[in-house]
Amino acid sequence: MTSPHTLAADRVSRRFGGLCAVSDFSLSVSTGELVGLIGPNGAGKTTAFNVITGVYAPSSGHVLLDGRRIDSLPPASICRAGVARTFQNIRLFQNLTVLDNVTVGFSRSAELGLTKTILRAPRFFREHRHAELEAMDLLGTLNLADKADTLARNLPYGDQRRLEIARALATHPKFLLLDEPAAGMNPQEKSVLMDLIRFIRDRFSLGVLLIEHDMKLVMTICQRLTVLDHGETIAVGPPAEIQCNPKVVEAYLGEPLHA
Amino acid sequence: MSQRRSDQLPAPAPPGGPAAAAEPLTAPPEHHDAGGGRSPVLSFVKSNAAIPVLILLLLPLANLVEGRSFGAYNARIVTLIGYNIILAVSLQLINGVSGQFSLGHAGFMAVGAYLAAYPAKTYARGFVDPATTLLFYVALAVVVVIVGAVLYGVLRAAALLRTFHRSLPGIALIVLIVWIAADVSKAADLEVIPTWCVWSRGFAGLESLFAGVIERGGAAAASVSSHLSAAAAKPVCFIVLLLGAGACAAATGFVVGLPALRLRGDYLAIATLGMAEIIRILIQNSRPLGGALGLTGIPKYTTFPWLYGAVIVTVVCVWRVAYSARGRAIMAVREDEIAASAVGINTTRQKVTAFVLGAFFAGVAGALFALNEYSITPTRFTLDRSIEVVVMVTLGGLGSISGAILAAVVLTILPEVLRPIAEYRMIIYSLLLIVMMLARPQGLLGTRELWPRRFGLAFKRKPQVTKQESFA
Repeated sequence: MTSPHTLAADRVSRRFGGLCAVSDFSLSVSTGELVGLIGPNGAGKTTAFNVITGVYAPSSGHVLLDGRRIDSLPPASICRAGVARTFQNIRLFQNLTVLDNVTVGFSRSAELGLTKTILRAPRFFREHRHAELEAMDLLGTLNLADKADTLARNLPYGDQRRLEIARALATHPKFLLLDEPAAGMNPQEKSVLMDLIRFIRDRFSLGVLLIEHDMKLVMTICQRLTVLDHGETIAVGPPAEIQCNPKVVEAYLGEPLHA
Repeated sequence: MSQRRSDQLPAPAPPGGPAAAAEPLTAPPEHHDAGGGRSPVLSFVKSNAAIPVLILLLLPLANLVEGRSFGAYNARIVTLIGYNIILAVSLQLINGVSGQFSLGHAGFMAVGAYLAAYPAKTYARGFVDPATTLLFYVALAVVVVIVGAVLYGVLRAAALLRTFHRSLPGIALIVLIVWIAADVSKAADLEVIPTWCVWSRGFAGLESLFAGVIERGGAAAASVSSHLSAAAAKPVCFIVLLLGAGACAAATGFVVGLPALRLRGDYLAIATLGMAEIIRILIQNSRPLGGALGLTGIPKYTTFPWLYGAVIVTVVCVWRVAYSARGRAIMAVREDEIAASAVGINTTRQKVTAFVLGAFFAGVAGALFALNEYSITPTRFTLDRSIEVVVMVTLGGLGSISGAILAAVVLTILPEVLRPIAEYRMIIYSLLLIVMMLARPQGLLGTRELWPRRFGLAFKRKPQVTKQESFA
């Protein structure tokens, strides 16, 4: 077993002008853990994701991967360091095939020199072959192999979600950040998704951080939850505890009426 | 980490999915011979063997095209098609494959044309002196590197100073840039900077540095050239000119692309348009390059086999870059820049690669053009020329290399075919373009290609899944 990894946000804040989208956000995920990030709309969940994956630099605080700071790195380097993500509104490479979408994730093969690429040197063929086979295996694992030659934009919705996860897995991540993976799914699809998330966590030995609105899903699969509201962390703990936390109930349902 | 992590780990049984657990993991299969492919070395030989054969086939064709029965008019059209294919295919790499809308292709073409015509006229002495020609590019590179290093140093110093004080370094920077620009303009006999600016002792230093490199190396270079037989000297010199002109255009593309490619869509188009105009106006005001009158008396070298040899090399290079792992990364940036960076692609690098490579081939096309026309003027490289190439790329289908070739051929021949109807010619031509875009907005071929993309790859067969285990 490889040594477990940790991804941690250490009192991260992100301000946009006068708006404090996330403040004093702390969180830690280790290999094999499934951690949920929940909160009402506009609570700053996606901003927290964007800070962790380098889309935004934090206004203050650090993001640490195995104790090493990654918050000053560009998104591509953070991905290479081992933090992959999916997006709330699916962001696939629409006009590329399913196979190409996944193969892009093996960015190492894109590093082959331009001369070797143009001359089609033996190494080009070796790397090309290797990347495609590995991508096919990954597609097979996620049950997408028979659609390898379809354009991504022609996939049904559920498959698009799965392909986005496959693409993230292709980068050999240590941590996977899923931004509302169940959005727009029916209950049955959601239960399949739950199995899938647990399956890939074990199969690829990942730590998973999950944003989700579906309480049933979150309460079932997450080991720990962090609840955000207006950028503030209002509760941290195991799902059962969170469920009866009065602050959380208030954030979601409003203040209780005192007649 | 080259292997799948799963290959090193005993995968625990998934607790969630019973169906997934039911399927046992098989031993990892050997990757390199799965899929029924040939050895990579054999594939390398096979995929490259066709190119020299294709180029050799041009020689008998040349007799036909340059023969009397074919006619000078037809031969001229064939030549124009050649330039246009190179320009359209190289712009396809920028506009279609990388999705960065550039309007600056004529600018790169101008750089290539002038920086091939000038040394050809001044140093090559009828194409017998390749070494001195090479020395010209070396001297140019030395000057550019020194100017670049000075500018970089100034910018770094300004960046460091900014931490102390905000406004002062900005002023100092502007003064320095004006100072350098004035010196450069004086040295190059440019008249874009007013004379009152030329107050410093002058970067006559740059000019004398350039002259010094040529003088010091000139004699040695000429003696190297004299060892080459006359038969070898000519083609070698021509290749030096083509590569040198391409490299100069590529360097221009790099300098322009690095800041400009931060922009998107319309903004990038305007920036590249501005760049092309700046290049044209710089040339128009530079005395050594002939100013508005242009350069005349350029020796002619471009012949049918050379031109179409360059066409083949361009198409092969662009094709291979576009349909490789790197091309996939470039296309991913076109599709979604944020998602591309989220899967570990250095988006700036991929965009600049496409831009520089496109500029390189535009420069080569410019050189081929200049070395065929006896004289070139800045008016040959106006915005109209860029737009003409953009129209070819768009009409052929953004992203389709064979589409760009097809459109280059069609759009070169079409105005000639319409010539009998004289004054209505351009009206019909424009109407056809409008109808075409209404009927097929995706272009002639869309993103498809006329021949399969896996053409020349070792494995025409789709790779199969080698692992049995999967999520239910």
